[in-house]
Amino acid sequence: MSARGASLKGLLLVVLLVSNMLLTKEGVTSLPICPNGSINCQVSLEELFDRAVKLSHYIHSLSSEMFNEFDERYAQGRGFIAKAVNGCHTSSLTTPEDKEQAQQIHHEDLLNLVLGVLRSWNDPLIHLASEVQRIKEAPETILWKAVEIEEQNKRLLEGMEKIVGRLHFGEIGNEIYSQWEGLPSLQLADEDSRLFAFYNLLHCLRRDSHKIDNYLKLLKCRLIHDNNC
Amino acid sequence: MKQGFISSFQIILQLALTTAGLTGQSYPGKPTIMRCRSLEKETFSCWWKPGSDGGLPTNYTLLYSKDSEEKIYECPDYQASGPNSCYFDKNHTNPWTTYIITVMATNEIGSNSSDPQYVDVTSIVQPDAPVNLSLETKTSASITYLWAKWSPPPLADVSSNSHVYHYELRLKPEEKEEWETISVGVQTHYKVMGLQAGVKYVVQVRCMLDIGEWSEWSSERHIQIPSGESPPEKPTIIKCRSPEKETFTCWWKPGSGGGHPTNHTLLYSKEGEEKVYECPDYKTAGPNSCYFDKKHTSFWTIYNITVRATNEMGSNVSDPHYVDVTYIVQPDPPVNITLELKKSVNRKPYLVLTWSPPPLADVRSGWLTLEYELRLKPEEGEEWETIFVGQQTQCKMFSLNPGKTYIVQIHCKPDHHGSWSEWSPEMYIQIPTDFRVKDMVVWIIVGVLSSLICLIMSWTMILKGYRMMAFILPPVPGPKIKGIDTHLLETGKSEELLSALGCHGFPPTSDCEELLIEYLEVEDSEDQQLMPSHDTPSKNTKMIPKETDSDSGRGSCDSPSLLSEKCRESRALPSALQTQDVRAVQENTGAKRSWETQCIASEQKTLLFNSESAKSSTWPAAQLPNNHLPMFAYHSTVEAHKIVLSTANVNISPVLVGNEEKHQSQYSITETVHDNMEKQREMENSKTDQSTVQVKQNRHSDKSPFLNPKLMDYVEVHKVRQDEEPTVLLKHKENNGKTEKYTVPGTSKEYTKVSTVVDHNILVLMPDSRIQHTPVSQEPAMETSQNLQQGQAEKNMSYCLTVPSDCKRETSGSEYMDPSSFMPSFK
Repeated sequence: MSARGASLKGLLLVVLLVSNMLLTKEGVTSLPICPNGSINCQVSLEELFDRAVKLSHYIHSLSSEMFNEFDERYAQGRGFIAKAVNGCHTSSLTTPEDKEQAQQIHHEDLLNLVLGVLRSWNDPLIHLASEVQRIKEAPETILWKAVEIEEQNKRLLEGMEKIVGRLHFGEIGNEIYSQWEGLPSLQLADEDSRLFAFYNLLHCLRRDSHKIDNYLKLLKCRLIHDNNC
Repeated sequence: MKQGFISSFQIILQLALTTAGLTGQSYPGKPTIMRCRSLEKETFSCWWKPGSDGGLPTNYTLLYSKDSEEKIYECPDYQASGPNSCYFDKNHTNPWTTYIITVMATNEIGSNSSDPQYVDVTSIVQPDAPVNLSLETKTSASITYLWAKWSPPPLADVSSNSHVYHYELRLKPEEKEEWETISVGVQTHYKVMGLQAGVKYVVQVRCMLDIGEWSEWSSERHIQIPSGESPPEKPTIIKCRSPEKETFTCWWKPGSGGGHPTNHTLLYSKEGEEKVYECPDYKTAGPNSCYFDKKHTSFWTIYNITVRATNEMGSNVSDPHYVDVTYIVQPDPPVNITLELKKSVNRKPYLVLTWSPPPLADVRSGWLTLEYELRLKPEEGEEWETIFVGQQTQCKMFSLNPGKTYIVQIHCKPDHHGSWSEWSPEMYIQIPTDFRVKDMVVWIIVGVLSSLICLIMSWTMILKGYRMMAFILPPVPGPKIKGIDTHLLETGKSEELLSALGCHGFPPTSDCEELLIEYLEVEDSEDQQLMPSHDTPSKNTKMIPKETDSDSGRGSCDSPSLLSEKCRESRALPSALQTQDVRAVQENTGAKRSWETQCIASEQKTLLFNSESAKSSTWPAAQLPNNHLPMFAYHSTVEAHKIVLSTANVNISPVLVGNEEKHQSQYSITETVHDNMEKQREMENSKTDQSTVQVKQNRHSDKSPFLNPKLMDYVEVHKVRQDEEPTVLLKHKENNGKTEKYTVPGTSKEYTKVSTVVDHNILVLMPDSRIQHTPVSQEPAMETSQNLQQGQAEKNMSYCLTVPSDCKRETSGSEYMDPSSFMPSFK
């Protein structure tokens, strides 16, 4: 009697185990991230924004650190900051300069601006990553960051294009970007001028990366959390 | 004045001298005219210094004559200019006359005159210093100057105020040494120009008449020259701060601007713009600040800010301050901090902290992202524990110490740049102790229970202490060596006994044991010899060493592990042991201390018997044979004594009695009742042989099982009859019959039946009918050896009594009983 009971239990256990395995396997095959009812399984807009914000945060942290390192090492006592008020190459892009402006601008336009700024940095970042190697005794941390920022900027641009595409804008302002003409200044023979060119570029990079980060956080709160972050 | 002081002092001194010694009395010493001075050339005064007064009251008289006259006059006024002075007022002063002045000191003995002083009034003029010097700084035509005012020196005679003084003024910066002297003229005020701004000056004046000398300098006056007469110093922009990333404020520190009201203007220009703007709001953020409202605040733009300080004299501009508002955000501290204690599932309290971002900061729109950091410490603690919590606005804190009050503070910071806010006000939270009390209760219960268990255990230990005692100190086996010195045995030194057996080394090794065995084998050969215990010196007795070492060293032999090992050995290899000589086996185990001591005890007993009992005057070798059990198969020579063994077992009864009281052995003995009786009888008994006394002692102490053999004293096996049924005749020494049930291990012979009582002190015991299979030798008992064998029997019995079950041999089997098998009692 007990033996029969035991065998019955064993059978039941096996059945349960098998069914569980099957179920588990089924779970693995399906993608939980995939939103219900979507035709193409996509990453949600919220997730896209999350990633974009994380990335922009990271890029700005890097550029900020890089600027500070450069400032400490090369710009002390040279009064670069006074000269740096001449502006950045992206200043032609009119971006919101305070909270009100940022809130008034349509998110579509703001996104396009972000894209424009990101694109505007594609070129200078490539050159920065290569030219920064020529700075005398450039610390490894600066070199590494220049390369890293360049790569991450590309990734962020991809992600932003995806977000813009997801939002189904009628027309993506593909051509919005500002040309950088600063390569010769990075290659100047005069060290002081050259260092200032780097200083200014890094200063602008820090500013623009912060802008992008700030706008993206703003957009995330507006589009995903309905201004209630 | 000074001179007046001095002279008065001298008078006092002279008076003192006068009173001190009258013997030194003489005419007074010569006075000296110190000086004559005219303040305003219309009057004058003269002061003198008295000489020694000669010990007597002295009068001073000033006498003068004029150069134009012969007449001698006396001083017109001794009072006005103080003591030892003479004031010549206007009427007595003639500027065109030279006065010849002498001072005469007079006392009772005589008089003495000073040298004459010629005084020309015009030449002795020196006014007092000017008074009421006052200073102030004035500004006219944007020039600061020093305005000094003073008054001419006051005069006693008001009518003479018309004198014209010339004044001099001197000044210097406070920290300098050199004076700058300025001739003022006759006016009593002066305007000092070209002084250093911001420097503190010291000023003095003095005066002089048209003739005579300068007065003393007046008392010092100090004045701070304000620096206001130059353009203001550069202001410094201290800092700019944006509390919410929407507006910002800049503060500056004005430079020292002098006495003039200074206007500060903040000017700024923005990156990429040429235009310079002025601060939109000087008021909102308080003095020396500029508030930029939302309209005027741009981000990612560098502001070039300067502050211009302006006064009448001109203006000065601060160094430019470059500000990107993005990087100067410093929020206000978080608000609405709540501390809440919650209990987790396992009843441990944890702290839940919640807070809100500062009201100004708009974190909802995503424009500003704040990160938080909190810190906490116990109220009395020194060091803060800081925890960065990121963007969340709540935090759970675990593992806080109960019963302590914690202080919690939170601050916040924008996500990338800017700085930490101030810490929020301190919040206090008391972590309750009641959670801990519950724990404590549990621990107390556990503690009480465990102590109770301990108590019970120790109680049972005490109750069963005898068993423990027996474990530690098992009974002593009987003696097995012939020819050992009685006295040595009496001293109870096991070491010596051992040494007597030829074992000198410690710890006893196998060699030692072998030695013993050899020795015993030798003895065995003498088996049949009857040797007097003391008067026949054998080779054995020669071996008795003189050393009286204690048995401390034996311990190494006795370690429980060793013993138990022995036990195991003996059990494991019974055959090997069985093939050995029985006595040898006995000796083997005898190497163990407990055994040995027992041996001593029993041997001692035996010897006592020998000495006392007339029956056994000789020492029979038969004492040694093992009488544990019948073991006929092993030793033929011993066989002869097997009968004795069985009978000897009977004699154990008192031992049993003694032991029975403590050990619940398998031997049921009905002795106890008799025990007391025996004791009483013993007490009464006139016989005071040693053994009896010992018995009494033992009984009273009731402790040592070793001494039990001594109980044997009063029971002797009188005779063993082997004819029809095995019968033991017990004889009580004290003439007391006993009815006991004797159970002998191994033999399984219980002499329970009292057959007869013969001659009042002989008890005839018969074996229990149930156990009839006891192999008993047909040989007649050797009565002479009975007593000696008793010792052995005792020994065995005592062992048996302490045998633990695991090591106990199957006693019913007719095999020899390995004494080592009793050892595991130490286990």
